[in-house]
Amino acid sequence: MIQNTKCECGHQNPVNTVLCESCGKPLIEDQSMEPLEMRYDGVVRRSQRGTKSVIDVVWSFFSSVKVAIYLIFLTLCGASLGTIYPQENTFINIDPATYYPETYGTMGEIYYTLGLSHTYDSWWFKLLLIMIGTSLVICSLDRVLPLYKALSKQKIRKHERFISRQKIVYTGEIKGIQDEKEAEKWVEEFSAILKKKFYRVTTDGSALLAEKNRFSRWGPYINHIGLIIFLLAVLLRIIVPGWYMEQYMDVLDGDTVQVPGTNYYVENEGFTVEYYSEDELAEETIEKGKVIPELFETKAVLYECVENCNDPFMEPILEEVTRHPIQVNKPLKYNGLLIYQMGYEETPLLRSVNATLKGRESGEEYGQFVLEMDNPKSNYEVGEYQLELVSYYPDFKFENGVAGTKSSDPNTPAFIFSITGPGLPDEGEINMYFPIPQHKVIYQEDQVNEAAGSTLVIDVGSMQDVDFSIYTSFLSARKDTILPMIWVGAAISMIGLIMGFYWNHRRIWIRMDGKQLLLGAHSNKNWFGLRKEVALALEKQGIKVEPKSLENEVKKS
Amino acid sequence: MSLEQVSNTALIVAFLLYIISAFLFVIAITGKKWSDRDPKEHTLRWSKLAFSVTIVGFVSQIIYFITRWIYSGHIPNANMFEFMTLLSMMIIVGFIIIYLIYRSAGIGVFALPVAFIVQAYAMVFPWEAEPLIPALQDNWLKIHVTTAALGEAFFAVGFATGLMYLIRTVNFTGTSKKDRRATRGIEFTIFAILVVVGFIGSVFLFNALDYQAEFSKEVIVPAEESELEIEQVNTEEVKYTLPPIVKPYKSEITSMDSYFGIQKPLMEAPFWMKGVNAGRKLNTVVWALLTGTLLYCLLRLILRKPIGAKIQPILSDLDPEDLDEISYRSIAIGFPIFTLGALIFAMIWAHIAWERFWGWDPKEVWALIVWLFYSVYLHLRLSRGWQGSKSSWLSVIGFLIVMFTLVGVNLVIAGLHSYAGV
Repeated sequence: MIQNTKCECGHQNPVNTVLCESCGKPLIEDQSMEPLEMRYDGVVRRSQRGTKSVIDVVWSFFSSVKVAIYLIFLTLCGASLGTIYPQENTFINIDPATYYPETYGTMGEIYYTLGLSHTYDSWWFKLLLIMIGTSLVICSLDRVLPLYKALSKQKIRKHERFISRQKIVYTGEIKGIQDEKEAEKWVEEFSAILKKKFYRVTTDGSALLAEKNRFSRWGPYINHIGLIIFLLAVLLRIIVPGWYMEQYMDVLDGDTVQVPGTNYYVENEGFTVEYYSEDELAEETIEKGKVIPELFETKAVLYECVENCNDPFMEPILEEVTRHPIQVNKPLKYNGLLIYQMGYEETPLLRSVNATLKGRESGEEYGQFVLEMDNPKSNYEVGEYQLELVSYYPDFKFENGVAGTKSSDPNTPAFIFSITGPGLPDEGEINMYFPIPQHKVIYQEDQVNEAAGSTLVIDVGSMQDVDFSIYTSFLSARKDTILPMIWVGAAISMIGLIMGFYWNHRRIWIRMDGKQLLLGAHSNKNWFGLRKEVALALEKQGIKVEPKSLENEVKKS
Repeated sequence: MSLEQVSNTALIVAFLLYIISAFLFVIAITGKKWSDRDPKEHTLRWSKLAFSVTIVGFVSQIIYFITRWIYSGHIPNANMFEFMTLLSMMIIVGFIIIYLIYRSAGIGVFALPVAFIVQAYAMVFPWEAEPLIPALQDNWLKIHVTTAALGEAFFAVGFATGLMYLIRTVNFTGTSKKDRRATRGIEFTIFAILVVVGFIGSVFLFNALDYQAEFSKEVIVPAEESELEIEQVNTEEVKYTLPPIVKPYKSEITSMDSYFGIQKPLMEAPFWMKGVNAGRKLNTVVWALLTGTLLYCLLRLILRKPIGAKIQPILSDLDPEDLDEISYRSIAIGFPIFTLGALIFAMIWAHIAWERFWGWDPKEVWALIVWLFYSVYLHLRLSRGWQGSKSSWLSVIGFLIVMFTLVGVNLVIAGLHSYAGV
């Protein structure tokens, strides 16, 4: 069927236009009097064009608000599934294949098998987000350009049927108007009233168009642009290597640890934790025996490696770049690298002792040496004596008559020295040494040494000679290069929302045909406010109407 | 009187004033049919009175807020009691703003009850102020929580007016399928509200009676999870403040006061509810449902018709289209605030405190779900046929999701936000 698309006002409209682009006359003849569909002022959008290529089909799929709503709804449902059980990434060291069935039974197994234990990393969730992104781009483009065109070339004198089918309508005879001149004068007066209400008014003889806050129409599109930037940033963050880094470090009090994958080293110069005192806590908390930390802090020093980096045989040479006490809400920042305080753990680990070599019988002291639990030296010189480290078991165990170590952590450190010096045999005297007193008792240090004929004792004098590390500080290092783009996207989106929701685009059309006044008004939101405004303006011209009565009475059939 | 007492008293005063002003708003509407008065003037006068009482209540609530801030040393929005109270306060802010725009007494009839029910719910939780854990010691606590609560409060006002629209327009005597479904929907919504009221009521009742019961349960800690690397048996204890209808799975009674002559728990929690607290939570749900059902049946018996049908005449003078627009307006005002507070500020703070701006923590996900749901709502409003009753239903469902995010997530799912005290 060939459609005649030329309006009676002489304007040639594209196929499928709903309201004439020029005079606003409804082009689809339905004879009904119900309020017009005013979206995008009735212009035709790309997605509504007659002919359809493949691109057009894809375009019209994504340009549909209905499709967008379905996509959002599916995302919403999908996201909720991921909160039923904790996601895999909330655990540091588990095997999900066994964890979920063991912890949550059959439901857990189903949950894991369906891949819901990593919902937000799943292909379908990402696909949904990408589709929402596409829909955002296409929906916006499909609508914003035609809308811009329609709003920038509005005709002032609109067709009667366009005005009379607005949602807010007033029609009546103005007494005392004789000719066109007086009609124009009336319109002039009315225009002055509207101008006081911050309308931009244009007149064409006895016709009038008043408009305000048109910018609010761009709000949704600006919001969408912000969201697109946000989603792009999230995408880039995943795709571009090196833009996002996430590393975890457990740093013992006094230790220095490399930030994995970087040239940075972080030293924990001292970790402190303070707890709230009982009189600061609620009674119930005290009853439960809970303690609440008030503050925990890692005195951190950040070093950059300048030489011998990544050389397994050489000690790296470090240069201090910055220092900062890291607290939960106060990360260390350096050159895009952020180091956060995640948590802490009490780990009473021995770091080193300042040991004394003594005579077993005489108790005479021959000298002191610093013995480190982490990488002890192979030789120590103490006074006139030479101590050669024969074996070191950081986590000593004695099984089936064989000594060994359970791990490399100094939980039960044990040393075996061969000591040479004055009055000792040339092949050396064997001495076994446990730095921690209770281990001396458990493993019978004295008895073993005496049985071996040892004449010397290694011992620590006081607690001051013991260096304990009490806390392990859990730190996390992050680099998030794209972050500024995320914030820019969020800010733009927010500006768009404010523009779109806290202002509304209002338009008022008037045409006088002889004495007959025909007024129509349209707003994209807040009809209540517009009705009040129109009623107030009419009242100033001596026409008293209830705001509510301005509503177009013809309801949907 | 200590500052703490001043603060608590001010809160109770505010709570009572909100109940009074809700009644005054009802009189403002229903009383205009009384004889010897001009209906218009009556509504105007009584609405003014009701609104002033609301304002006085609000001032009292602000006194609570400020005094509590002073004596506890931090902004009172850190545990469940404080947050829910803040939400109720924000619902009043939302109500005041919307009322000043539309000047309709009807809004008060529904928005105030939402506010005082939320306030009563807050009062169920421990009142005592707790010092802040390090993660919360930041200015963002003030900004993020407050803005998010304000956004949610506007959704609450949208819910109240949406429900009003529905009660106003549904044909309760209609026999068509559509009418019957709508009637059932409204009755169910009212039932759900009564369940909350029933829960609050039973907690207050048994607290006043100082009811207590204790259970212990043996929990086997497998060898690989215990420190000594041998299988261990731990005894976990749980204290009930509501009489135990349901006891924790495989638990022993340590002590139990009898109630209504009942000496023993009637049932045991199912086996898949492992922890002792799961049993306690189930018992609470059972109590809420029981008292809610009881309240509902009682009201039906007294009123002898659907509760919605009884409320309808109060609303008969209100224009449904205005209600629909007010509901939409509140949500439209709330949406940007919610976006800013619950998502953008949340992301900024998460970036500072938790080393990532987004981590799919259950609370974050549910805030996103709320946001997505209201975006669906706003987009659907653009389509023909989605104004009026359909969008009112969405505003009701939306607020349900909001409440799940605020309360349900903490009760059922927990996660990083679990410090909230539940």
